[in-house]
Amino acid sequence: MRVPPSRIKYFVLGFYIVILASWQALFSAQIIPDFLFPSPLQVAQRLWELTTDNYLWPSVKATFQRMGIGFSIAASIGLLLGVVMGMSRVANSCLRSLFLGLQTLPTAAWVPVSLLIFGLSDRGIYFVIIMSSAPAVALAASDGIQHIPLIYLRVARTLGTPGYAMPARVILPASLPSIVTGLKLGWTLAWHGGVSAELIKSSIGLGFLLQMGRELNDAAQVIGIMVLTILFGLLLDRFVFGLIQKRILVRWGLAPRSND
Amino acid sequence: MEDTQSNSPASAVVTPSVKLKLTQVSKTYSEGTQAVAALDPVNLEIREGEFVIFFGPSGCGKSTLLNIIAGFEDVTEGEITLDGRPVEGPDHDRLMMFQEHGLFPWLNVIQNVMFGLKRQFRFKPRARRAHARQFLQMVHLGEFEKVRIHELSGGMKQRVALARALAPDPKVLLVDEPFGALDAITRAKLYGDLQEIHQRTRKTIILVTHDAREAACLGDRVLVFSGRPGRIKADISINLPRPRDINAPVVAECAAGIMAQLESTG
Repeated sequence: MRVPPSRIKYFVLGFYIVILASWQALFSAQIIPDFLFPSPLQVAQRLWELTTDNYLWPSVKATFQRMGIGFSIAASIGLLLGVVMGMSRVANSCLRSLFLGLQTLPTAAWVPVSLLIFGLSDRGIYFVIIMSSAPAVALAASDGIQHIPLIYLRVARTLGTPGYAMPARVILPASLPSIVTGLKLGWTLAWHGGVSAELIKSSIGLGFLLQMGRELNDAAQVIGIMVLTILFGLLLDRFVFGLIQKRILVRWGLAPRSND
Repeated sequence: MEDTQSNSPASAVVTPSVKLKLTQVSKTYSEGTQAVAALDPVNLEIREGEFVIFFGPSGCGKSTLLNIIAGFEDVTEGEITLDGRPVEGPDHDRLMMFQEHGLFPWLNVIQNVMFGLKRQFRFKPRARRAHARQFLQMVHLGEFEKVRIHELSGGMKQRVALARALAPDPKVLLVDEPFGALDAITRAKLYGDLQEIHQRTRKTIILVTHDAREAACLGDRVLVFSGRPGRIKADISINLPRPRDINAPVVAECAAGIMAQLESTG
């Protein structure tokens, strides 16, 4: 079946309506006790209560603040290491194996170490975010640098660009498409790590609200916060990193322009 | 050291000074334990303002020689001097224009042309822009200053690349088969542009090609290369009036003469 691209969004909308309807149907069938399995409406209601009780907004803000700080540090460290790896074969051989190894670790696995080192402070959350996402950013940046089209480097050299100016004027901009891909992936991993850390280490934040829901046996809150966490993660992925990535791919001539 | 640079245009017409001089330049690659000669010793003098063509089949060493002059490859033996001074490594006094346009997609058209001007106008971005603008107008793209690279056609991209290569005022412009990927109509137009620019700037240009007509259309002087190891087989002067049309019968006739030189033995 061929669907015109302009109509795909209706199918996506329909798909989510079907999911919500099935959820509601499962609830109405009363197979699972309703205190364990709330309806979509109950979840929305609980989220609304959390909002009016002034629980939700401060927590969202706290989470985003931590993510903002943590991810900025992670991205900076990742980029720096990525550039070093991209430009030195020795550094690349050493760090690549280490980072690939670290990436096999679930992000939540950093939480116990962080508790041991930093106790319950916010610094521990930053630590988890950084360890979760910096390796991904570094790997993507180094890949990008290693695959810069040779022509750019040759052009820059024949135009008299001195060696010290190459990273800023050519190497970084030329590898920007890979760097943005790395940042996008890094953001997702940072979000995983950050919320995991909040589950245990905080008294405010989305992770905290999730944990609080569990302690109160409030399934509606648990599911509601999960949905919110997914939505925020998705929103940033699609509409911040996704759009930047798309623009760069078009500008770099790596994607057809009419591919909306 | 003898200063061979001549600033007087009158004397330049009578006896143009030697711009680029190659003395016993050769290149050998080592393949395992064996040394493979890519280029037999070349002696060559290129005069100021000359439009020189390196012509030959692929693998004849013409591109190797161009890369050596640009500084991308080392010579095995011999010496290259530009205005009497030995050259070393790539720099913008021997600027190379490549087969691929190699325009930077993160910069717009004018920023690309400005790229090589950092040294000349270090703290004067405005002067840099004004200077770049002149060259953009020279390739008839004055209105496309702020356009993104991916929005240009293939021919326009090569013209921006040409403006970018000319803007830093190189002493020698090296051109490596830049029109290969373009269609015949666009190419014919660019031949016209290139001749016009050469007339106007009196720039010393070396262009590599395996197209005899292109050689006859553009060159003041065609050096015919033959392969394995590469060496210069013939040195032909072309005195047809300019601008020359690639489709003109005289150009075709001249191209046939160049081909004959390539195929002749000895």
